[in-house]
Amino acid sequence: MPGIDKCLLHVMELPGARGAAVVDWTSGLALGTVGEPSGGDFETTAAETAELARMAAEHAAFAPDPADRPDKEPPVQDLIVSTCTGFHIMRFVETTFDSSVFLHLWLDRDTGNLALARIRLQSIAERLVF
Amino acid sequence: MKAAVSPMLVRLADERATGVLIRERGALYLVDGQVVHAESPAAPGIDDLLVAGGRLPRAGWEEAIARAGARHMVGRFLVDSGRLADGELEICHLGALFDAAFFTLAPSSGPTRFRYGVSHWIGPVRPVSAAIVARESARRRALLAAIWPYPDIDSAPVVPRAPTAGRRIPGRQRRVLSLADGVRTPEAIARALGRPAFHTLIDVRRLAANGLVETPTVPTPPPALPAPLPPFGQYADPDISLLRRLRDALEESL
Repeated sequence: MPGIDKCLLHVMELPGARGAAVVDWTSGLALGTVGEPSGGDFETTAAETAELARMAAEHAAFAPDPADRPDKEPPVQDLIVSTCTGFHIMRFVETTFDSSVFLHLWLDRDTGNLALARIRLQSIAERLVF
Repeated sequence: MKAAVSPMLVRLADERATGVLIRERGALYLVDGQVVHAESPAAPGIDDLLVAGGRLPRAGWEEAIARAGARHMVGRFLVDSGRLADGELEICHLGALFDAAFFTLAPSSGPTRFRYGVSHWIGPVRPVSAAIVARESARRRALLAAIWPYPDIDSAPVVPRAPTAGRRIPGRQRRVLSLADGVRTPEAIARALGRPAFHTLIDVRRLAANGLVETPTVPTPPPALPAPLPPFGQYADPDISLLRRLRDALEESL
């Protein structure tokens, strides 16, 4: 049952990992950070990634049919943004209390493995709260 | 925004003080100059977040207080006894800490006091630098203003408006709206949902910006009395020739 810092260190063990954070997407606050920020500083990066995560979580275009997952929050599991130099994975953390938290990983495009990172991020997000 | 932050907090952080900083709307607990806990009557506590949020039964929380409260190790006990995962405790506690700090550090004219050596029964969880807490509180104030700049909405009962047909409301806002009955304030809704008060303020301001809840009208000051008429006799003499020309023009148009 690792805490935020241990989880972030596990995330950074992934090949090509440049920076990671646990972010609250309602407030845009970084609860924990490691490595380097992708956007100037960690606070700005957290606020900006939170804005993207919130939109994905709230917009109807991404919400599955409520009949399949009645009112399950958040409806989105993860977001992937690819750039010419890197990947960003934002993995939503499911908790049994009311929260709005995701794990953000910034991955180098050449040395990172997107598929592997996505699977590992899922298991780390689950262990964070289990 | 910097002026709004208690200068005393900056000094206490510099001198690595341990104790409790008490302001008008809440308290910050410091250990070695770092913020380890915060409480405010305006923000649900970590127990509200865990119990109302459905994570812990009330009895489980009370047992933790009874067994570890006197040792000031309640947080640690919740994890060691298997009731919570480390990550859950940290997420929940940081949520409550930044929430209460937001209200505690709100600009106020009230006094600020510090009592050295006082510690909180929750015990060590995840200390945060005082500078980060102060900066985040200011950022949150700006965030609310950017969404819908009507701060009166934060403390007034939330009154729903007739929804526009076919409009989809995001799930988290929908749950806030379902508790808006014209009586509950955003704080009461936050407690009922087991959610930080600030997070509920964000949703209420978004709902108001979208016209889904009323924005309370600020009582306007009574209109200023019209300027008194100058005393009789101070008027300039009427322009007789102008009046004549006006009369003539009016008669011509009849």
